[in-house]
Amino acid sequence: MADDVTRSIEIHIPSELGYEKVAMEAAAATAKRMGFSMDRIQDLKTAVAEACVNAIEHGNKLDVSTKVGIMLTIQPARLEVNVTDEGRQPFPDRPIQPGRPTDNRGWGMFLIQNLMDEVKVSTEPDGGNQVHMVIHLDK
Amino acid sequence: MPEKLEAHVRRNNNLAIIQFSGDVTTFAEDVVQNAYHDATLYGGHNIAIDFSACEYINSAGIAAIIGVVTEARRQGRRMLVFGLSPHYQKIFRMVGLTDYVEMCASEEEALRKTKPPEK
Repeated sequence: MADDVTRSIEIHIPSELGYEKVAMEAAAATAKRMGFSMDRIQDLKTAVAEACVNAIEHGNKLDVSTKVGIMLTIQPARLEVNVTDEGRQPFPDRPIQPGRPTDNRGWGMFLIQNLMDEVKVSTEPDGGNQVHMVIHLDK
Repeated sequence: MPEKLEAHVRRNNNLAIIQFSGDVTTFAEDVVQNAYHDATLYGGHNIAIDFSACEYINSAGIAAIIGVVTEARRQGRRMLVFGLSPHYQKIFRMVGLTDYVEMCASEEEALRKTKPPEK
């Protein structure tokens, strides 16, 4: 892949729990092809799954008529992942601290932030939520 | 599409063992709670969870585990886990679960840790 063409993979999954596993496997296959270690691929799978579950449950409120979009963009030394929903509601803003197991909700975003190298969460003008994640190849 | 979680509870010496197989996700909450309840019926102080047949654990599943760990602490029980992949061992440490459960490499290690002192 020594050319200047940006390679990307885009998939859409129904807003139904369980379909996040399709996105996990697509991300894992892409990362494996890029040469990521198994350890980092596991991190990526968990982060992608959590972002999709957030989009399905919170962003799209489990409405199966809506879809979650997953865009994987291959860069020379990094993989970018964008997970978008149709914005039936904004994500809850609940920061979670480690070591407090009685706070038993909201761990998804905590895991994403701790497993990925870069994370940005935003709400688009049309109301859709987006989780932008980057994982670096050299870590 | 999610692989349904099943639980089998058994006893090995003074350890009640909950053996999970399948995905530990949102759909697992009742199975996790019921399995914990069944394990307490063995009357033991020590409860171990075997995750060796669980390939996918997500944050909702972790929340369910946190729920039973919290209940076990309240009841003064000792919780142990084994069979976690290195990735999920990292996740358990990350969310702070290892402050409340003992991570073991195997069932044998869990048994050794909970063996009563010889008289």
